[in-house]
Amino acid sequence: MAGAESGRTEQIISNFFLKLLQVVLDSRVPHLLAGSRAGGDKSRKRDRWFNLALGDPPAALENLGLWHRSVADPMVVDVLLLRDATDSESVLERWTVHYEPSSSSSSSSHPSTPSSPFRAATAFSSSSAEAAAAFYKRTYKKCVVLLRSVYAVLRLLPAYKAFRMLSAATLNNLHPHHHNQNQNCNFNLSYRVSSFAEPFTRAEEDEMKHYDFAAVETQFGQITVSVVYRHDLSEFNLESSSLFPPRIITDYVCSPAAAGPSRAFPSSLPSNEGFVQPASSPARGILRFGSGHMSRPHSWTSTPMAHHPLSGSQLSASELHASPMGVFGQRIVGGHQQLGSSRKGSTSFNEYPLSPPFSPSPSPSPPTHSGNLHRRLQSETAPVTIPLPVTGSIPVYSRAPNLSDPTRSSLPPPSPRVARADNSSEDSPEIRSFRRVEGFKLSEISPSLPSSLQKGIRDARDDSGRFSGVLSSCGGSPRVGFSRSSSKLSFQDDLDDSCPFAVDDVDVPDTQRRATDGKAASENQLASSSVSSWTSQEAAVGMLVHMLKTAPPLRQDQSYSSRAAGPGHDREGGGGSGGGASSFYAARRAADALEELRSYKEIKDMLLSRSGSHLPGPSRER
Amino acid sequence: MNCEICHLKELEVEVFQVREVLRCILHTILFHRALGLVRPKDVDSEHFEITYVQCGDAELEKKIEEKVDHFCSWVEKHPNKKGQVLLSFYEVKNKQASWFTNKVERLYWEQWHVNLHVLQPSGAHGKPHGGAKPARDPGGGGREESGSRRGSLEASLREVLFQIIRFVNEKKDHIPIPNPDCVSSFPYEITIPSHSDSSFGVEIFKRMLQTGHPTMLS
Repeated sequence: MAGAESGRTEQIISNFFLKLLQVVLDSRVPHLLAGSRAGGDKSRKRDRWFNLALGDPPAALENLGLWHRSVADPMVVDVLLLRDATDSESVLERWTVHYEPSSSSSSSSHPSTPSSPFRAATAFSSSSAEAAAAFYKRTYKKCVVLLRSVYAVLRLLPAYKAFRMLSAATLNNLHPHHHNQNQNCNFNLSYRVSSFAEPFTRAEEDEMKHYDFAAVETQFGQITVSVVYRHDLSEFNLESSSLFPPRIITDYVCSPAAAGPSRAFPSSLPSNEGFVQPASSPARGILRFGSGHMSRPHSWTSTPMAHHPLSGSQLSASELHASPMGVFGQRIVGGHQQLGSSRKGSTSFNEYPLSPPFSPSPSPSPPTHSGNLHRRLQSETAPVTIPLPVTGSIPVYSRAPNLSDPTRSSLPPPSPRVARADNSSEDSPEIRSFRRVEGFKLSEISPSLPSSLQKGIRDARDDSGRFSGVLSSCGGSPRVGFSRSSSKLSFQDDLDDSCPFAVDDVDVPDTQRRATDGKAASENQLASSSVSSWTSQEAAVGMLVHMLKTAPPLRQDQSYSSRAAGPGHDREGGGGSGGGASSFYAARRAADALEELRSYKEIKDMLLSRSGSHLPGPSRER
Repeated sequence: MNCEICHLKELEVEVFQVREVLRCILHTILFHRALGLVRPKDVDSEHFEITYVQCGDAELEKKIEEKVDHFCSWVEKHPNKKGQVLLSFYEVKNKQASWFTNKVERLYWEQWHVNLHVLQPSGAHGKPHGGAKPARDPGGGGREESGSRRGSLEASLREVLFQIIRFVNEKKDHIPIPNPDCVSSFPYEITIPSHSDSSFGVEIFKRMLQTGHPTMLS
């Protein structure tokens, strides 16, 4: 009978060791949770031990159970903190479980407790099955309470926070399709199980606290559980940044592209024409953290690179300009370190999925209709603009090689209105000169053009030049779509003098110079003055949206154009008023494009001013 | 069998924190005393960086929520007062049907006194609500003060949880044989101060008389 009882006691003790080990590892080592689990009936029965169902134990635990040869050997479980930066490991916690068998002489010397007389009696009358069974049940009950306490304490100790950070990152890495922000941790948690552990150094002991659980007495000894833990983990600088895996996006598009593959950043960006911009961002793609599964709207927000790890305080526009690749390279290294880590018990970062890069746009985008444009501008935030520390003047932008861009050949034919306004001149030369944004001189314009047309061309050139500069910083085919209509739009705008969206701080002189009357000019001036007061990109976007929403119908443009034409512009006005529906719609398209062009320009200016790059007013090439 | 009594450290809580603090404490106690088969559920506290454990039993959670709601209602009607929630575990002894009473005798073997001092937020507008957020303190200084109070309360709550754990570990011998049929294992009751505040102490006194508390006999 004593043998049977000892066997049952030993069974309780061995299962207690395994259960406690599972409790500790499930609460400290995330990758064990993510790994394979030992299933089967045996595991399910073992899971019910001590009335604490934790699920199937990790497969690794099965092998650990074989390690524990004797219940008399203590089990020491070290929870290790592995830091990527220093490649070192530190013991966060040390759990020690020990079964101390009691000798027959020591049993009688124990202080009297409510149970001790019973235990003493048991020791003397071990043949009493009922007493032994009662003692066995009491031991089991106390083990249940002890395990509950261990489970609760594991969640109150400082290391639990590190576990949560790491487990969140591990789960996100294992399920990248959930569109959650992936997380990178600069540490990892591991474990070590042994029957003997090296004692801590004096320095380590000073940083440790001790917590002893009340011992559980068995018929033949007692089970003790204690933990030594670091009470302050701040020295380790544990971080879990909600970052996307570092990737280089070579084809970054800032414009609100439609659903589909992102448009390519044209490789022929002005890197050699004085277009000062960070070498990395437009030419090689913005430093962007994201997965390939990320939806397009995430690519740009009102606060560019808001979730960017290098944004805000970490990285400024100047830093981007200075050594973006250097910074990014550093981040890549960190990521590779994590990806390449294969420490004992470490999370398998090799499983970290790398999303495919964005595929470049196969072709430039077609010109967008005004409705789509308005919807896009209203539903999406401002395009992400790269803070360009433009050191030159605006003419730098005007020298944007839109002309050299082969995609410009896909520009739509000139507006019939333009053609009508230029009855005495050939379309192609004027339009070519109209579109030219580099070194545009007034003298290049045909002298036969009316002054208003020349003025409009001049303004359009500036607008398109600026706009081209803006778009080239963002890149993408929509640039083409916008630019090819921007010229017409600006020209149309000048003729119509009615564009409600012609809000540009740079255009203030233009609006002042324009022969304005009525509402359109005042609106422009008001918008211009309001632009100057903008201090944030969000305000710019909001105003843009507001303008789009409150813009008068385009049909009013015609009426405005009729009024603005005046006697001095009879030819244009007459041509305009006599235009058919097709010309009107073409003008609408151009007008919308120009409006959007100006809006983007304004936003870019806002961002530049915000990033500390104060752009001087664009000097106009007259 | 002795009735072990544990007086938990008094916590100063604001009205909007009462619910979460009570949940944390009651669930922690019951997790250590509901010795049936449980599938533990980790719950992150709403207002504190504390994770406590629930038994994962819907009926138990429902009962606790009811009592927490009752206490919050009491707090609303008794602002800026100290309240005590009593969690008692008992055994049902032989039913004694007598001429005058047919009550079932309960033998309490453990009692937990959860002491809360509910503070009214400064500059509170209107009637406090148990689950409402506090009125915003004007200025940054008020926020700092509330933040420090919150941090202090979190530390105190953590102390209370460790106090619970220490108590349940040290006091195990008085626990009766659990009922294997239900999760809670032992019948329990949660006593909330009644709306007639003066009778709360009388009820406690009555219960002490019923259980024959050792302190009453000494």
